[in-house]
Amino acid sequence: MIITENKPWEEVKQALELHHVKNVVIVACGICAAKVGTGGTEGAAKMKSQLVEHGFNVVTTAVVDEPCDERMTKQAFRKIKDEINEVDAVVSLTCGLGTQAMNTVMREKFPKKVALTALNTVFMGETERFGVYKEGCRACGDCILNETGGVCPITHCAKSMLNGPCGGSVDGKCEVGDYTRPCGWIEIYEALESIDRLDLFLKVREPRNWSESGHQRELNMRDKPAKEEGGDIHD
Amino acid sequence: MTELKTHSNLMKAIRSGEFVITGELEPERTSNIEPTVHEAIEIKKYCVAANVTDNPKSTVCLSSLAGSYLTQEKSGLEIVYQLTCRDQNRMGLGAAILGANALGLKNILALTGDHNACGDMPKSKPVFDYDSTHLVKLVREMADKRSIEGLALDDDCPDITIHVGGAANPNANPMGPEIMHIQRKAMAGVEFLQTQVVYDIDIAEPFLKEIKDKTGVPVLLGIFPMRGYGVAKGFDEMVPGVSVPKDLLAKFKAVKKSGFEKKEKNEAYRKLNIDFYVPMLKELKKKNLVAGCHIMAVHYPKIFPPLLDALGLQPR
Ligand code: SF4
Ligand code: SF4
Repeated sequence: MIITENKPWEEVKQALELHHVKNVVIVACGICAAKVGTGGTEGAAKMKSQLVEHGFNVVTTAVVDEPCDERMTKQAFRKIKDEINEVDAVVSLTCGLGTQAMNTVMREKFPKKVALTALNTVFMGETERFGVYKEGCRACGDCILNETGGVCPITHCAKSMLNGPCGGSVDGKCEVGDYTRPCGWIEIYEALESIDRLDLFLKVREPRNWSESGHQRELNMRDKPAKEEGGDIHD
Repeated sequence: MTELKTHSNLMKAIRSGEFVITGELEPERTSNIEPTVHEAIEIKKYCVAANVTDNPKSTVCLSSLAGSYLTQEKSGLEIVYQLTCRDQNRMGLGAAILGANALGLKNILALTGDHNACGDMPKSKPVFDYDSTHLVKLVREMADKRSIEGLALDDDCPDITIHVGGAANPNANPMGPEIMHIQRKAMAGVEFLQTQVVYDIDIAEPFLKEIKDKTGVPVLLGIFPMRGYGVAKGFDEMVPGVSVPKDLLAKFKAVKKSGFEKKEKNEAYRKLNIDFYVPMLKELKKKNLVAGCHIMAVHYPKIFPPLLDALGLQPR
C-alpha cells in the first residue's frame, strides 16, 4: 500500500494562496489513502471542514477508486466537470501518483486548472495494524527477497547494504533512529537461520544495477510479443 | 595462485610476522593540515602506519584523500587512507582509488561509513551505492586485474599498488552475522582487518579465534588509550555498543579527584592505560590471535612511547 500523511495545514494554505485559489473541489483516493485515513470520505470530510473554516469555498467532494489510474480519474472528472469548471483548483487527497494523474487529465480537459495535493507520500508500506505502517519495498526492480529470507535489505537496512551488517548495529538495533529500529541485516540473518539457509547469508552480493532504476521507469506490456511477456506459460 | 605482492610498509610488517602498531589521525573541519602532520610526526617512530579518517562519525572534515596524501608527504609516516561508501558512488570511489595511487598512498581501509543521519549533516543524501565488501572488491579488481567494474585501466596507468583493509566489530551482538560479514570481506579479498575498540579479552578472544579459523586474515586489535577521565567518560557515554569497564572508569575518576599536580595526573593516567591494555595485548599476541594493535589514541601521542616500551617493542 502507498502510505500518505497530511501536509501541515499551513503548507496546504500556502499552496492554495500561491495559485490564487478560493473555490475548490476535493478529490480523494478511495483505496490506499482511504485505508490510511488521509483520503476516502473520512479524509475528505476533514479537509472540507478545514478549508471551510479558513474561508475557502468547497463546491463538491468526490472519492475516486484508484485515482492513480488515469482512466478512473477521467471518468470521475467527467461526472463533476461542471463543478471543476466552476472552481479554481482541485484539492487532491491522494498519493503523488493520483495527483499527477489528475494533473494529466486536467491539462487535457480543464486547461489552466491544477490539482494541488494536500498529502505527502511517504512510502510503500506494509500494514502492521491499523495506523501502524512500515516501509517494505523501494521498487528496486531487481528483487532479492528470495536470497534474503524474505526481508528486504534495500528498505530494512538504512544503508541499503547488500552485504551487511555494518559496524553500527548494536544489540540487533540500527544506528539510524537511535537504536530503536531493528537492524535489517540481523533480521535477514535470523530469517535465514530459521529456514536453515545461512549459506545464503554468506554470499557476496554484487552492487546493484542502477541503469534501469536511476531514472523514470516505464513498463509497456502491450507492445511486447506474447512470448517475452511469459504469455506462453499457460499453453 | 597469484603471487603475493607487497607494496606498503604496513603489509610488509604484517607479513613479516612482527607485532604491528598502527595509529589514527583525524583531520578536522579545517583546511589546515598542520596539526595532523604534527601528530603524525610525534607518533612516527612508534607505528608502521596511521589511518586518516574519512568524515568520521559522519561529520564534514578535510577530505581524507587530501589529508592522507599531505600527511604522508609532510610527515613521512605511511598512511592508511580511510575511504567510506557514504559520500561517493562507485564512479567517485574508482576515481579516488586512482587518485590515491597517483599520490603514492599504499593502503586503503574500505568502510561502509556511518550513516549521514548520525552526523552533523543529517539532511545530506546518503550514497551507499557500494558497501564495504564492494569497495574491498573494487580495490582488489583494480590492483589485480587493472580494471574498474570491468572497464580496463588505460595502458599507461601504472599498476595499482594499494592494499585494502577492512573493519571488524568484536563487540557485535549477535556475533554470527558479523563473523559471516567478515568472511564475505575475506572472500572479496580483504588483506587486513582493524577492529573497533575492545576492552574485554573475553570478548576479543573468541572473536579473534573465529576470524582466524574462518578467514585467516591478519587482525590489528583496536584499543583506545584514554587521555583522562573526561575522555573515558565521554567515550563510555557516547559510543553505543561499547562501554569502558566500570572499575577502569572508577580508577580514572579517582585520578581526576586526586590532589595530584597535572603532570602527576598524566603520569597516573598513562600507567592506568598501560596496566589495562598491555596484559590483554600480550596474552592475545602469545596466543597468536592478533597481528598487532591499532591504537586509536587521537590527540594522545604521548601514550605511544610508554605503551610500546611496556609491550617490549623498539621504536622504529
Ligand atoms: S529487493 Fe526490496 S526494494 Fe527491491 S523489489 Fe524486492 S522488496 Fe522491493
Ligand atoms: S545497523 Fe543494520 S540496518 Fe542499520 S545501517 Fe547498519 S546494517 Fe543497515
